[in-house]
Amino acid sequence: MKKRIALVAIAALLISILAACGGTNGKETTNEGEKPATGEKVKLSLWHNFTGDDQRAQTMRSIIEQYQKDYPNVTLDIQAIPPDGYKTRLKTVAAAGEMPDVFILSNGSMTQEFSAAGLIQPVNELIDSHPEWKEGFMPNSFDAFTVDGNIYSAPMGLSPTSILYYNKSILEQNGLTVPKTWDELLNAISVLKGKGITPIALGNKAAWLAQSSIFSSLADRVTGTEWFLKAVKQDGASFTDPEFVQALTYMQDLGEAGAFQDGFNAIDNTQMEQMFAQGKAAMMIDGGWALSNLASNANAEALEQMGATVLPTIPGGKGEPNTLSGVVGVGMGLGKDATGTKKDAAFQLIYAMSGPDAQKRTLESNQLVSYKVELDKSKVSPIFSEVYELVNNVKLTPVYDGKLTSAGGEAVNNGLQELLMGGKPEDIAKKIQDAQSKALGQ
Amino acid sequence: MKFIGFNNYVEVLQDPLFWKSFKNNLLIVAASVFGQVPIALLLSLVLLKNGWFQKFIRASIFMPMVLSSVVVGIIWGYIYHPQIGILNFLLDSLGLGSWKMQWLSDPSVSMYAIMVPIIWLNVGPYLVMFIAALQNIPSEIDDAAQIDGAKGSRKLFSIKLPMIWDTIKVAVVLCISGSLKAFDLIYVMTGGGPAHSTELLASYMYNNTFSIYRFGYGSAVSTMIVIISLIMVAGSQYLMKSKK
Amino acid sequence: MSAPMTRPLQPASSSRAEAGLPRFRWLKSKVTGAALTVYALVTLYPLLWLFISALKTNEEFFSRPFGLPSHWNWSNFSRAWEVAGMGIAYVNSFIVTILSLILTLVLGALSGYVLSRFQFRGKLLVIGVFMLGMLIPIHSTLVPLFILMNKIHILNTYAALIMPYTAFELPIAIFICVAYMNSFPKEVEEAAQIDGSGYWGIFFRMMLPLALPALATVGILAFLRYWNDFSFALVFMSDPKLKTLPLSLSVFATGYSTDYKLTMAAMALAVIPTIVVYLIFQEQVMKGMTAGAVKG
Repeated sequence: MKKRIALVAIAALLISILAACGGTNGKETTNEGEKPATGEKVKLSLWHNFTGDDQRAQTMRSIIEQYQKDYPNVTLDIQAIPPDGYKTRLKTVAAAGEMPDVFILSNGSMTQEFSAAGLIQPVNELIDSHPEWKEGFMPNSFDAFTVDGNIYSAPMGLSPTSILYYNKSILEQNGLTVPKTWDELLNAISVLKGKGITPIALGNKAAWLAQSSIFSSLADRVTGTEWFLKAVKQDGASFTDPEFVQALTYMQDLGEAGAFQDGFNAIDNTQMEQMFAQGKAAMMIDGGWALSNLASNANAEALEQMGATVLPTIPGGKGEPNTLSGVVGVGMGLGKDATGTKKDAAFQLIYAMSGPDAQKRTLESNQLVSYKVELDKSKVSPIFSEVYELVNNVKLTPVYDGKLTSAGGEAVNNGLQELLMGGKPEDIAKKIQDAQSKALGQ
Repeated sequence: MKFIGFNNYVEVLQDPLFWKSFKNNLLIVAASVFGQVPIALLLSLVLLKNGWFQKFIRASIFMPMVLSSVVVGIIWGYIYHPQIGILNFLLDSLGLGSWKMQWLSDPSVSMYAIMVPIIWLNVGPYLVMFIAALQNIPSEIDDAAQIDGAKGSRKLFSIKLPMIWDTIKVAVVLCISGSLKAFDLIYVMTGGGPAHSTELLASYMYNNTFSIYRFGYGSAVSTMIVIISLIMVAGSQYLMKSKK
Repeated sequence: MSAPMTRPLQPASSSRAEAGLPRFRWLKSKVTGAALTVYALVTLYPLLWLFISALKTNEEFFSRPFGLPSHWNWSNFSRAWEVAGMGIAYVNSFIVTILSLILTLVLGALSGYVLSRFQFRGKLLVIGVFMLGMLIPIHSTLVPLFILMNKIHILNTYAALIMPYTAFELPIAIFICVAYMNSFPKEVEEAAQIDGSGYWGIFFRMMLPLALPALATVGILAFLRYWNDFSFALVFMSDPKLKTLPLSLSVFATGYSTDYKLTMAAMALAVIPTIVVYLIFQEQVMKGMTAGAVKG
């Protein structure tokens, strides 16, 4: 008898606490839900990760605020999710089949996986209705967002991933010029190393950096883009092919020549950028994202010393020499549940956030875009405009993890770490091949 | 989603990476059980008095726990830093330059390098648990033992340890289950790398679930973690039972 | 840095053998004290480091990680507070943490009482089920819990955090309580029963006060877990008005870079309540000792 009373008491306590918590919020949602649908009132959910204090995030937030002023009939349910947790949250929710109406969508594997699961809708209609906007994008901008001829988003940024940044004064002091060929690079490495200067700073703790920044471009020089795209599809090429093994060998040679400082697998890319900014290394191979870090963490004097170029040419390589691996940035995706008037409002929002005006403002906040905009050089740092020039004058080649499946990309990341620790190129090539073919088979 | 039988489980068991993570995790479990628990026990015996000195020391030992693993990870990252790390600097100034290592990126030492902060971080909670248990020993028992002439180590082994044996057992269970779920600190310090050399079961599970986006496979790994934990917890309780 | 780790071990272990010459014992206690102090400083330092780092510029943070800032940037704190929206996050964290804590302590103490002082059929099974709950890696429960909460419409309410927090911490709470209550002598209940107390009377008048140190231990651990949880808060809370502190702390990382000075400042602000709570609960852990019950 007493036991039963205890149980009832616990249950009552639980219910009252939960009811107390749920109460206020429950009311709120029902109120909003029951709002009479007067005319074109639309409620739209928007997920973004522009939460920070950096220029880009501030710009994007002000664009969203502007949209709210321009479209008072649309009630935005904005969820600003910290970048660290954005993908985890989106993927969890996607696994449960609940999609936000408008959200930041990564290109490549995420777009493919979401479209295969029917979680997103194409935005062809929107893009086709603004021809001048569509024309404004750089060639191939939509490729990474395209699945079976359907375009799922328009990129809001551009990330060249393999820029060779160099410190002019260090090179000069050691009688070196900016390396244009592989031999010049190896020579520069041995000269600098002889003087106790780190030739190339590397921070590969997160494992994607060596892949995205060094290997994507280096391998393209050796194998050519066409081979890579075939290997990705496992159609007439395999990662065990001799050209890929050769690309891995070049990468390993670079490590064995002592190009990188000790313990490069233990520091992250921010620390690497710091090393370079402080003049502790002559060069660094990094992406366009480094620009905003450098701008906020290095002093003006140090910024003056920096130059940017493409990776050196490789003797007998099948790829084009004057290229840079790069990938378009994220775009705004359209969730599966946005239909009818919701869809119209969502299109307006996507256009506001990635249209011509937004692209220009993004560029001026030190973020490269995949859109033709005249850059006002007074608004950005000198190294930013140098990279801007570079990107506009060379061809972009694919980035490895942008094209490979998630599992294939992980295999390359970890494989390169192993390679730089002395692993055998053939074995690593085999692991990459296995991961990619298995992931495609599923 | 479709039902694919036990394919995911079969795949988990066939993946050499799973077994590597398992081996690494065993090291962490061993370090935790044989590091954290004894250290906490010894400290609790020394710090049982309620003076300001003991209070200060107890609070200090607990402090790493209140910090986010990000902070702990960054600090230990700098201690082990290949260029400006304190550890290598100390070795150098002690004339032990040859002992200098790439602590976190050399696979032959990285697991051991990670054990140290894990032990250091987690002593605090067990210390609190043991203090609570030790001060629960009724003073009459203590006095009686004194009269019987039980002193020092004999008192410890014949009275104190048996009296808090249940708490020690709980501490070991917490240690095992905690170590098998250990994730944060490793994630911040090495990300499981380089080349999976510091991968643990929980980080292996997390990567498969949220980086490679295979929820089914991730769940299979989780189930394996639960089974492994159960076996180890049951084993430890069996071993500790016979000792009582 | 790893050397001091092992140092206190030796003096501490030798303190087991209390026999010896008085002068040796005096020396030993000095050595023990010194070793403990060194160990304590090593464990206390990171907290100090956090507060010092919070006052630096990003450049200093990298170039001199262990140095003092050249200029003390107190404004980092107000900037971090503002950018991360820490005011509202603080309130939410307090509500969620305290409600979960109360639930955990009440349920943990009650279950601990039943599981430690009563014999009944299926007791082992009950303990086994709780044990299972403790072993599940929480990341694997995110998707099923999300679906479940979505179906019963409690996503985006405090309950969406309070319920899983309590559920996942309860096993630990119960185990600590059971282990602790097991050691109470039988006379405790017998005396109370003679007084005519029922089960509730025994629980409230005898068990609860006696178990205070165990509950304080549970309280410290649970508070830390709830206060610092990121995963559940990330997935189950989407309304910005409901976000908790760990979420607001991570806004300074953009995926490619982290604004360390503001992150450190925000973390320093967020860590203060945990220190206060530890100090309050620690007093409870030692409650029994003030009566001079135990000698060291």
